[in-house]
Amino acid sequence: MGAYESDWGHASRFEPVGGEIAVVGIGEAEHSKASGRTTHEIAAQAIERAIADAGLEPTDIDGLMYSGGMSEQFDEEAFHAHFGTRHSMFVSKQGGGMAWAGSAPYIAARAIRAGKARHVLNVFSVAWATQRSSMLGGPGAFHAAEPFKFNLELPFGWFPQPVYFATITRRHMHEFGTTPEQLGAIAVACRRHANLTPSAIMRSKTLTLEDYLSRPMLVDPLRVEDCCLISDGGAAYVMSSLERARDLAQPPIVVAGVGEGYSDSGTHWSQQRAFTSTPQVFSAPPAFAMAGLEPKDVDVLTLYDPFTIVALMQIEDMGFCKKGEAGAFVEGRTLHHDGGVLPYNTHGGLLSHAYVLGIAHVVEVVRQLRGQAAAQVPGARVGVYGGYTGHMATTLILRRL
Amino acid sequence: MAASSFPLPDTDWDATRAFWAGAERGELVIPRCGGCAAYQWYPAPACKACGGKQFSWTAVSGRGRLFSWAVVRHGFLKPFAKKVPYVTGLVTLEEAPAVRLVTNLVDCEADGLQVDMPVRVVFRPLVFPDTERQVMAPMFTPASEPVAGKERNARDV
Ligand SMILES: [Zn+2]
Repeated sequence: MGAYESDWGHASRFEPVGGEIAVVGIGEAEHSKASGRTTHEIAAQAIERAIADAGLEPTDIDGLMYSGGMSEQFDEEAFHAHFGTRHSMFVSKQGGGMAWAGSAPYIAARAIRAGKARHVLNVFSVAWATQRSSMLGGPGAFHAAEPFKFNLELPFGWFPQPVYFATITRRHMHEFGTTPEQLGAIAVACRRHANLTPSAIMRSKTLTLEDYLSRPMLVDPLRVEDCCLISDGGAAYVMSSLERARDLAQPPIVVAGVGEGYSDSGTHWSQQRAFTSTPQVFSAPPAFAMAGLEPKDVDVLTLYDPFTIVALMQIEDMGFCKKGEAGAFVEGRTLHHDGGVLPYNTHGGLLSHAYVLGIAHVVEVVRQLRGQAAAQVPGARVGVYGGYTGHMATTLILRRL
Repeated sequence: MAASSFPLPDTDWDATRAFWAGAERGELVIPRCGGCAAYQWYPAPACKACGGKQFSWTAVSGRGRLFSWAVVRHGFLKPFAKKVPYVTGLVTLEEAPAVRLVTNLVDCEADGLQVDMPVRVVFRPLVFPDTERQVMAPMFTPASEPVAGKERNARDV
C-alpha cells in the first residue's frame, strides 16, 4: 500500500498539526572540538540565546523537550537550577537531536493545542569531543552495548558506524552505480557552505572534489571526508502557537508538516530488508501531505548526515529524485546555496559544521527562512529537515508566513 | 561476560549459544521456525513470518553470496588496531537469502571481491592480542562453484 507501509517499516499516524505552531526562537552554543565544557554548560548557552532570540524570559518557557535516550541532557531540574525558576513545566523526553529534532514540533504542537504549555523549548547538546579524548563515551558506546551487535557483529570488526555505512555505500554503488565523485559532491557542498558560516568548525578549511578524491580511505569505500565530525556543541529552539508567535520578536516560521517513519529491524542495519534505503521512505510522504507541499516546492534542505551515503539515500527516499538516481542528481552544483536546484546543508551539516546531531540543522532552516543565514538562499520560503537515527527517520517541513 | 575477553562474543548468552557451539564443531547453524520453516536472523522469541515460538538450530550448507563488505583501514577499537586492514561484511545464505551474517572475508585479496560473488564458509578462530581465549567463528572465502538463487539477493523493496 504505497510508501506508508511495507515489509520493512512503517509510518507513524500523525494527526494534522500543520499551521498550528511556529518556531519563534533559535539559539546555538559555540561549536568546537574538545573544549572541556559539560553538556549542561553547552545547553545552557544555547537555551539562553534561544529565549533571548524569541524575546521571551526563562519564566515564559513552560514546556521543555530533551533526549531521554542520552545521558546528561539538560532536564527540568537543570533548567530551574540554571535560571533560578520554579514554575511547573510540560516535559517530554521525546525531544533533543537526531530524528527527534524533526519530530519534537509534533509533540509540542499537541501539548500547546491541549493547553499544557504556551512556549515549548527543545534542546540538545553533546560534549563528545571532550569525552572521546578522555575515552568516556561517544557515538559508538550505544551500539557496543547492544547484545546482538556485541555478540554477532563486533567480534568480526563490523563496528562502529563508519563500517556499517561503508558496507551500505558499497551495496548502493553496486545496485545503482553510485560513484566516489558523487559522494564527494555532497562533502564538497557541505564544506563550501561551512566556509561561509562563522559557527562552523571547518569554516577555514577548504575542500575541492580533487582534494576529496585524493584523500585515503578510512573504511573503503568511505574516506574521512565522508564521515561526520566529533564535536562539542548544541542548540535549542522555542515553539509557540502561531497566534502568540505573531506578537514575538522574530518573524514566525510555521511548522507546516511533520512525519515519522520506522525500520522494523531497528538499529540492526545488517538485517534491514531494504539495505540501501532509509525510513524517510515512510516519513516524508505524510509530512509533505500534511503541509500540502511537494518536494519540488522545497527551497532549502538540511539532512542528518553522519555519512555522505545517509544524505544521498535520504534525498532519494524523500522524493527529491527517483530511487537510485541521487548520485547523478547531486553532481555538480545541485546542492549549492547559490544557484543550486536543491540547496543543501547550507551551514555545513554534520560533515563540516558541527556534529551536534541535527539540532543545528533545524536552527539553520529557520535562519534561512528568516533570511538570516550566512550562506543565504535568496528568497527561501519552504525549508525541510530530514532527521535520521538508524531505526527512525523524521521529516520537518517549515515555511515562512 | 568478563571484561578481559573483549571483543570476543559471550558464547554463553542464551540467544546465540547454539551458533557458537555449532561453529566450534564446524557447523553453521541458524534458527529455523518449527511452524513455517522460515530461517530467522537475528534470533528472536517469535517468528517474524508466522509468530511461531518453536525454533530448531538447523545446519546449513555454508554456501552463500557476498552481499556487501568494507575494508577497514583504521583501528577504531584497540583490539583491532593490529588487524587493519581487514575485510568485514555481510553474507547471505543459499538456503536463506534473507539471512545476512556479519562475518570476515578471509584467504582472499580485497581487490578481487565482488558484490554477489559466491562464497563458502570456513571456520577460523577469533583471536585478539589481549585475550587468552579463542572462539571459533564462521568466516567466508570466495567459492569457485556456482551458487543458486542470485536474483533473490536483489533489492526487494
Ligand atoms: Zn514461522
